[in-house]
Amino acid sequence: MKPDAHERARQLVAWSDIASQSEQLWLRTHLRDCEACREYAQRTERLVQSLRTVPIAANRALVRATQARVRLRAEELKRRRERLWLVWMSCVLVGLTAAITTPLLWSGFAWLGRWAGVSNPVWQFGFVMFWIAPTIAASILFLAHGTHLADHNGRTQGS
Amino acid sequence: MNATACYFENWMEHENAEIARGLRRRDPDLLDRLIEQYQHRLLRYLLYLTGRRETAEDVFQETWVRVLERGAQYDGQHNFSTWLFAVARNLVIDLARRKKFASLDSMADDEGEPVQIAATGQTSAFDLLAVQEDSERVRNALAHIPAEYREALVLRFHEELSLEEISSVTGAPLGTIKSRIYRGLNTLMPRLKGARG
Repeated sequence: MKPDAHERARQLVAWSDIASQSEQLWLRTHLRDCEACREYAQRTERLVQSLRTVPIAANRALVRATQARVRLRAEELKRRRERLWLVWMSCVLVGLTAAITTPLLWSGFAWLGRWAGVSNPVWQFGFVMFWIAPTIAASILFLAHGTHLADHNGRTQGS
Repeated sequence: MNATACYFENWMEHENAEIARGLRRRDPDLLDRLIEQYQHRLLRYLLYLTGRRETAEDVFQETWVRVLERGAQYDGQHNFSTWLFAVARNLVIDLARRKKFASLDSMADDEGEPVQIAATGQTSAFDLLAVQEDSERVRNALAHIPAEYREALVLRFHEELSLEEISSVTGAPLGTIKSRIYRGLNTLMPRLKGARG
């Protein structure tokens, strides 16, 4: 018998996961003929049985605490998803409104420019200012209020 | 026998698909059920991996929060337990990196009191004593072999994962897993001479 046959038999015993029937048959035959490998198989079986005797249990408090924590996190994620959905919907609505009103406003400013008798760059500048004025005003308000610098406790950084 | 195996396989596939759908919905009732169902297996794996009850319990909670957050990544094609153990394992590795441990072995050596394992089930005093003695010997022996061998042995013989599933959990090639189990058993055997048969 080749020496690596013993090694192969012991590996098959250790893995306890023999796929083919021919391999199973070979192992059975080998174990019947080889006392050392048979003893190895018996020792492995005893060892695996011992491994399975180690009882470990999670206690109820841990399970309950985990369930509570998971539910809390699930609520947080749900609220965040709802907020994000609102933000997305607002963005879509703002985009749609802008797409519809921009050509109308542009025509309105052009008509107003002609009516007031001002040159094209003047009413076009007026149109641009009309567009960005709310953003500038909001930025100034936020800067004055210091909102973007506040941490979670409402304190400003560095104070 | 084949019909039974086929039925069980179909049932498992159905169960895994149900879990995947529930996780995508972040269904808290499903998560409650899964926590109940896998509590002992997951904690046991984490205890053997970290070697510390406190650490294992922390990671146990983190694992379920991660399952909630990343549940959409579970495809339902594999066993849920395989994915769960992989999530837990990654968290342990992250923890070891954060605490700057060179390996999982050094992590187990570093922290506070060693793991206390509670016995479960109703048995006679004699049986309980015998089991406790045997368990103590096995636990001590396992604690003194390399973490990668310990992990492979626990997943194979405690959790009864297939070699392919262990490979999937650990991210190691199948050949490496086979080698770890074989070497792990051979390392453990001399330490457990006289174990109850």
